[in-house]
Amino acid sequence: MEQDLDLKTISNEERVKLIQAQRKKEQYKSSMLSIAGVLGFIIFWQVIAISGLIESKYLSTPIQIVSLFITKLTNPNPDGAVIGVNIISSLTIALSGFGLAIIIGIPLGLFMGWYRGFDSFIRPIFEIIRPIPPVSWIPLTIVWLGIGLKAKALIVFFAAFVPCLINSYAGIRSTSEVLINVAKTCGASNFTIFRKIGIPSSMVLTFAGIKVAIGNAWATLVAAEMLASSSGLGYMILMGRQFGRVDLVILGIVVIGVIGTLISILIGMLENKVLGWRKL
Amino acid sequence: MGTKTTVMSVQEKREYYLKKVYMVLPVISLSLLLLLWINVSKSSAFPSPKDTWDRLIMLFQKPIKGLNIFGHVWASLVRIFIALAFNWTFGIAFGILIGWNKTCKALFTPLFNAFRAVPPLAWIPLITLWLGTGEFPKILIVIFGSIASIVVNTQAGMSNVEKLYLDVGTIFNASASQKLFQIAIPSALDAIFAGIRTSTSAAWMVVLAAEMLGAKSGVGFLITRGMDSIDMPLVLMSMIAIGIVGALLAIITQFAERLLCPWTKKSN
Repeated sequence: MEQDLDLKTISNEERVKLIQAQRKKEQYKSSMLSIAGVLGFIIFWQVIAISGLIESKYLSTPIQIVSLFITKLTNPNPDGAVIGVNIISSLTIALSGFGLAIIIGIPLGLFMGWYRGFDSFIRPIFEIIRPIPPVSWIPLTIVWLGIGLKAKALIVFFAAFVPCLINSYAGIRSTSEVLINVAKTCGASNFTIFRKIGIPSSMVLTFAGIKVAIGNAWATLVAAEMLASSSGLGYMILMGRQFGRVDLVILGIVVIGVIGTLISILIGMLENKVLGWRKL
Repeated sequence: MGTKTTVMSVQEKREYYLKKVYMVLPVISLSLLLLLWINVSKSSAFPSPKDTWDRLIMLFQKPIKGLNIFGHVWASLVRIFIALAFNWTFGIAFGILIGWNKTCKALFTPLFNAFRAVPPLAWIPLITLWLGTGEFPKILIVIFGSIASIVVNTQAGMSNVEKLYLDVGTIFNASASQKLFQIAIPSALDAIFAGIRTSTSAAWMVVLAAEMLGAKSGVGFLITRGMDSIDMPLVLMSMIAIGIVGALLAIITQFAERLLCPWTKKSN
């Protein structure tokens, strides 16, 4: 309450400064807390591992993980590939399945959202495929396509396709009626309205779908590589499991997590660029 | 004025015919899909509809590991229900904690994000290394796989509570706990329910993968069994069963949402 009295006597500029300083202080405090949380976790992990509460067979220390990462950069043992090769092979599969899902899923969703005939034709098929989890396609794709790139890309495609389609569909459905009517009044054809009004206004939701899709793609990829593969990060984890190398398993998990985070940061940046107008 | 049907304008007539067409189109597309299925199955290893049906009947006559299809579906469902019961209590509580308390948010968010960045299935090797392949590790995998969505949704709901409501609470001298329990949580309920729905479908997917990597019962086990013994009708039948159960779970959770928070029903 005393502060309120203070605020009445100071000038506007001072007040702004005061509030800015307060905000800065709060931001500083919360970032300090975040760092403390992460550091605390890592130290806790290190202490638990060193103290011998859990056998070293089951848990390796963060320092061991880092040193393993450095040796894995050049040493292909025990899964037969250095970590760079594994990362590239995983990324190739994830991005080809994901790219295919965007190329097919988004236009399909847009057309389904705009043209009712198209909707009532495709929708039943889509509703049948949708509830089947992508992982359960793995046996069939192995029979069809073996365990190469194509089979895994197809599984990733199934995982990424559904959110792409649903979101672009919902996005174009939520196009403002007023905008459509304005275009109609100005004599635009249905297709012109679709292209110039429907698609741009669906982009916000479409991007949300793309974000979900890349997460799904990355998550499904790991499963695909564990069940049917001879390379990649998922395979590396599985090999670590089979050789009882817990450090390799944890390293794989950390690398997968870091790459997944990097990808979602990249997509977020792209979104800011494409949808920059939203902030206005 | 004559009878109603004769005075339709051109526009109305068009609308009328289009409606008929829209009703026929799904039938056409579904029969095309069925035809495609039959055709593909003739020329490749893909099982035909009849094979799949026969395999279902055979599973009733000769159960695998003493369980028919309902038994396996039930085994999977029990796993996800135990995991979800845990998630719905601790996940929602944790989401409320980091959505409401700024200090907890700053402290836990980076850690939680790091946890979330790891795909649930990547935990499977580590968990099996630690705990073996019993029942508990599988439930733990499902918990790991479906807790993120409920925490994220709860947190979003809690931090997006309309400021006006809280201000009204302040004016009427509400205590902190009153604000939390009587204003914030009820208004975050629809976000929490969205989390419940996504976590249910995520759990169903993860239990499948967990069972595919080592189990003695459940639908995921059926799929790997079919894969190992090159019994494709069994694989396809399990996939269909999984699809049906997944769709049913989605419908049930949606229905529960309508029942418990009817105001979230969208006006369209």
